[in-house]
Amino acid sequence: MTGTRMENENTVEHYVDPAPFNPATTEALTPEQERYYQASQWKIMWWKFKRHKIAVWSGVVLILFYLCVPFAEVIAPYTPNTRDSQHLYAPPQPLHLFHEGKFVGPFVYGMKSEIDMTVMKWVFTPDPAKVQPIRFFCRGDDYMFWGLFKADFHLFCPAKGGTLFLAGTDRLGRDQLSGLIYGARLSLTVGLVGVAISIVLGLFFGGIAGYFGGILDSAIQRLIEIMRSLPELPLWMALSAALPVTWSPVWIYFGLTIILGLLDWPGLARAVRSKLLSLREEEYAKAAVLMGAKPGRVIGRHLLPGFTSHIIASATLSIPSMILGETALSFLNLGLRRPSVSWGVLLNEAQNISVVTVYPWLMAPVIPIIIVVLAFNFLGDGLRDAADPYK
Amino acid sequence: MIYYIVRRIVTMIPTLFVISFLIFFIIELPAGDYISNQVAALKSSGESASIAKLEFMRKEFALDRPFFERYLIWVGLWSGPHGFDGLLQGNWGWSFEFAKPVEEVIGPTLPLTVILNFATILFVYVVSFPIGIYSATRQYSWGDYGFTFLGYIGLATPNFLLGLIMLYLFNIWFGLSVGGLMAPEYIDQPWSVAKGLSVLAHLIVPTVVIGTSGTAGMIRRLRANLLDELHKQYVTTGRAKGLKEGRLLVKYPLRMALNPFIADIGNLIPSLVSGSVIVSVVLNLPTVGPVLLSALQSQDQYLAGFILLFVAVLTLMGMLVSDLLLAVLDPRIRLGGRAAS
Amino acid sequence: MISLKCRSWSVFGAVALVAASLAAAPVKALDYKEIPGLESNLPPTAERLPAEPLVVDLEAKGRATGKNGGTLHTLIGRSKDVRLINVWGYARLVGYNEALDLVPDILESVDVEDGRIFTLHTRKGHKWSDGEPFGAEDFRYFYEDIALNKELTPSGLPPFLLANGKPPKFEVLDETTVRYTWEDPNPLFLPELAKARPPFIYRPAHYLKKFHEKYGDPAFIEAEAAKTKARGWAPLHNKMDDMYNARNPDLPTLQPWMLAPGDSDRRFTLVRNPYYHRVDSTGQQLPYIDKVVMTVADGKLIAAKTQAGESNLQARNLSFSDITVLKQGEAQQHYTTALWPNSKGSEISILPNLTVKDPVWRELLRDTRFRHALSLGVDRTLINRTLFFGLGKEGNDTVLSQSPLYEDEYRTEWANYDPEQANALLDEIGLTKRDGSGTRLLPDGRPLEIILETSGERQVEEDALELVGENWKDLGIKLFVKPSQRDNLRERAISGDLVMSVWTGFENGIPTSEMPPSDYAPTRGDDLSWFAWGDYYETAGKGGEKPDWKPAARLMELYESWLKSTSKEERTEIWEEMLQIHADETIHIGLVSEVPQPVVINGVQNVPLTAIYGWDPGAQFGMHRMDEFFMAD
Repeated sequence: MTGTRMENENTVEHYVDPAPFNPATTEALTPEQERYYQASQWKIMWWKFKRHKIAVWSGVVLILFYLCVPFAEVIAPYTPNTRDSQHLYAPPQPLHLFHEGKFVGPFVYGMKSEIDMTVMKWVFTPDPAKVQPIRFFCRGDDYMFWGLFKADFHLFCPAKGGTLFLAGTDRLGRDQLSGLIYGARLSLTVGLVGVAISIVLGLFFGGIAGYFGGILDSAIQRLIEIMRSLPELPLWMALSAALPVTWSPVWIYFGLTIILGLLDWPGLARAVRSKLLSLREEEYAKAAVLMGAKPGRVIGRHLLPGFTSHIIASATLSIPSMILGETALSFLNLGLRRPSVSWGVLLNEAQNISVVTVYPWLMAPVIPIIIVVLAFNFLGDGLRDAADPYK
Repeated sequence: MIYYIVRRIVTMIPTLFVISFLIFFIIELPAGDYISNQVAALKSSGESASIAKLEFMRKEFALDRPFFERYLIWVGLWSGPHGFDGLLQGNWGWSFEFAKPVEEVIGPTLPLTVILNFATILFVYVVSFPIGIYSATRQYSWGDYGFTFLGYIGLATPNFLLGLIMLYLFNIWFGLSVGGLMAPEYIDQPWSVAKGLSVLAHLIVPTVVIGTSGTAGMIRRLRANLLDELHKQYVTTGRAKGLKEGRLLVKYPLRMALNPFIADIGNLIPSLVSGSVIVSVVLNLPTVGPVLLSALQSQDQYLAGFILLFVAVLTLMGMLVSDLLLAVLDPRIRLGGRAAS
Repeated sequence: MISLKCRSWSVFGAVALVAASLAAAPVKALDYKEIPGLESNLPPTAERLPAEPLVVDLEAKGRATGKNGGTLHTLIGRSKDVRLINVWGYARLVGYNEALDLVPDILESVDVEDGRIFTLHTRKGHKWSDGEPFGAEDFRYFYEDIALNKELTPSGLPPFLLANGKPPKFEVLDETTVRYTWEDPNPLFLPELAKARPPFIYRPAHYLKKFHEKYGDPAFIEAEAAKTKARGWAPLHNKMDDMYNARNPDLPTLQPWMLAPGDSDRRFTLVRNPYYHRVDSTGQQLPYIDKVVMTVADGKLIAAKTQAGESNLQARNLSFSDITVLKQGEAQQHYTTALWPNSKGSEISILPNLTVKDPVWRELLRDTRFRHALSLGVDRTLINRTLFFGLGKEGNDTVLSQSPLYEDEYRTEWANYDPEQANALLDEIGLTKRDGSGTRLLPDGRPLEIILETSGERQVEEDALELVGENWKDLGIKLFVKPSQRDNLRERAISGDLVMSVWTGFENGIPTSEMPPSDYAPTRGDDLSWFAWGDYYETAGKGGEKPDWKPAARLMELYESWLKSTSKEERTEIWEEMLQIHADETIHIGLVSEVPQPVVINGVQNVPLTAIYGWDPGAQFGMHRMDEFFMAD
């Protein structure tokens, strides 16, 4: 604008528009455009993310699952280790609304159990005379809420003297559904630790390798090579054997996830390194160096934001592999054990083929695992698409 | 270029030493050794008369020496009970469990392992390519969601459970023997058409089970790579020139999108041998994986050490091959490499 | 001494009877039949058998006469298990019959004098599986050239060949007779020979001499050693001399089946030994079954494969929890799932560590009232019903009813569920103080929390302990179950950190007075319930601690006197006192015994539908004579 005016001065008679200059008259922005240009990076991400419908729904599903983490005690009708010795290997009790044509609200029929010695199996027959309506906001099994104080309030409970096994019971008569709800607590959280460690290490090693280059870079490259040529399996086995026996199972599992995180970083480090190699050549990075910024500040303040999206996406995408990793560890008997409950522990009981054939409901834990892993994957996809500044 | 390759190979030597030491350290981490565990097992079942022979083995394999000496004897840098006789001298070690030299234990399992993992890789490529291309060209369509969903289901189901269920169903529906890579009657037979067919039939379940967990990742990467390319200027130019969509896609973007996968072939080499241990155990496959697992569990240390080292060497070679392939494929790297050398 | 002679005659009476019947009807009367399909270059049956084979009267045993032929398929969990063929074959110098008597088998007879002079008579004309004669030289070769050879046996003679620490005098009397003479009685000798894993005091001398420094051609030994990567003659000899593991197809054997050559580690074919020494009363040589094929399968898949009909005879790697699925497969595959009671003293046995390092725990665990309280506080009926459909027998870890030594009170004493009495006992000890959550306090103020470590290998243990934990909570005792690993468990026992652990009960739940009571006294340095005392005995006083607890000292005394005993009455008395001590003191807290082992029988005849399943004695199928099993059409 200024340039044009200067030229005009020389050729045309001097003229000054008395009205105050308002750039909006020449570059009128629609309200949408205005919002877009003034929005922060995070806002833009959010808008793009919202377009990815499945990712949004996955996010909602995950939030619902994570609600089980703080409130497992209240949501679950039983505690995970409550046994009912009259109902061993009981099949799921179907939910009914109408009894003999009359509406009673949600209820289950009571079950009679006996051992059939010819096939060596517990046999359950629903007893239509026993209508057991589900109670809501009720008092049931005692529990220690967050291990702090005793309570007995539940979202829903079985009828007084009745049972409520919506997902069946296991070999000791423990309710599967309650197990699943409590299991979410460990399965959904402990893996996060491993992911966090892997990200921190990946950023650190990838960062210094990519930024400084030279000897440091090739040393880290060798380190990555070594890490990648050691298969995970023997490391799991050896390290879990080396963890002290006196640790509680939860600590052992924590230790293992930390180990998993320690082993998982090379992939991310490589990505970070190559990204940094190209980013440090950018003008703004050079400018920061010339202005005397220390390496830590240059990396942390100027270069890292350039690939936050990548980090977020790879974090979301490696959480499901941690969840699956837990089931694999349990399969090898290296993971958690009863009395701690996780989905891996529950699924471990389904590794015998007899379960698949005789007691199919013991495979129930696979359903939340599939849902959560899928949701994390879609969420990760959505986040990555949204965080990519070039699209 | 040749200088580059030679330099890479030379740097591999110290790396290998570090790896061999780490491997030895890891397999020796658990308490006790194979012999002492066997002795304890014999004692607890009251069979102490058979211990003498095990004590003999302990001396024979220098298990009574300190850790570093044992490591050096294994590698062949220290004089053991029988002089210098380790990896460097071509003695790969002895398996206590199988009572055979390790190469005789691993040898027969290798061909089947390679067949299985090759079939799996093929399966992954065959399934994920069409889906990846379809999803990239029709981003955010129902087809994109649907196929991606299918691809992810495989990833989301714990492999061992999927394996068990499929084993059971195949046994019920097709009468296929449970587990293994062939019907039991063929195991000790020479190769024949019938044996080959039996192997093919038994390959289906493991290939699908192992493969499904890989397809999701592959679809995702292919889709992302292809989307990047499709957004580039030259595609728009091509389209503006009136190029047909199909030809437009195949001519450059697809080829560019495939580059990383071809470079990846090097990384697949180690997984040809060591891939999918847990599934192999569940499905009772006669591959290297279960041998490794049981060797680790029973502390059959030289067998485990040999397999791990073998895989490590393959990994290092695979990385080298990857880098070379990438250089050959991508003119930018190739030219840059030449300028550097 | 005389009584021992009597015993030896009564034990061997069965053979005497057979011999008598053979004498009455001349040997020729038994018309030996040829085995169909046997290699034609072999001599006829009559020439392959010993002059006096062991004749089995199947009808008298209530079994059917079978016929030669057929292939039996079975599954094993790892390739090493191929050695089970030598367990199931159970051809021993002397072996247990189903009544648990020791009878000569490979040997024609054994004479025992004073319990210290053993004269072994082999059968005339008995041949190794390669057709070479078997006799005194093979015994001599083992004793003089293997057991006494410092290079082959660096650790010296095994304990069963030592009586009071001294070796025997070994003599070859003639081609078929050898004699071992000890200065003191050696009651360990014969039971050892009858074990599931026997010591093989005879070796095929004609085959092994080739590899022995003393006899072999050095050039040949060197060449063979290079071929098998053995480093010297001794490792080579050791590799070739592998009587138990069945990995050398060239090694001659006396067992009913032998390994056929082949190099697969996934599948093994075992073929009949054409020179086996047993025949049925119709003149057919045993074993009936031509071939046993063992296929390696992952342990977790074996139940499924068995259910799919892939095994003809299966007990290995099947457990009680597989019963439901096995029963379910019966309809489609037409097999039978037999339930054989397990011969262990108890399926699950809780072992307080009486030599724990912590002084407070040590005193408490050694307090008999405390162990009684723990035992009384367990509701065994609930455990039996929950875990075993009520099919097991609730009670202490002791001998089973099948043992001639069994008394009801050994099993039931202090094993009823009585939490009131248990609480009273705990109060009587003085554990009356409790913390806020109702847990009793130890005398030094710590809460009474028992950390019980398991090997982590058996789910059923952890399930049972969960129930026990709930029971003990009512006593004011908190139980923490910590799954660990075998090796760790052992190391913690050695260091004295282990407070309590769980294992299966006594290995041998069906002993006779003639079997050594070594498990019932602190004789082993890896026993989880009294490591330090066992170590003291094993190292002859150099390590561990001298038993300073009266019952343990008495058990040790009794065991020592059993080792010196010479008569059956004496031994029975010793056994009874030891069992009584165990019952009175509740040294092991057993839960449930005689839990059924599923045995799937698919097209095999003569397999008993109910029989005891055990390792030693029993040899799994061995004691039930697998060589008499035959394939149905």
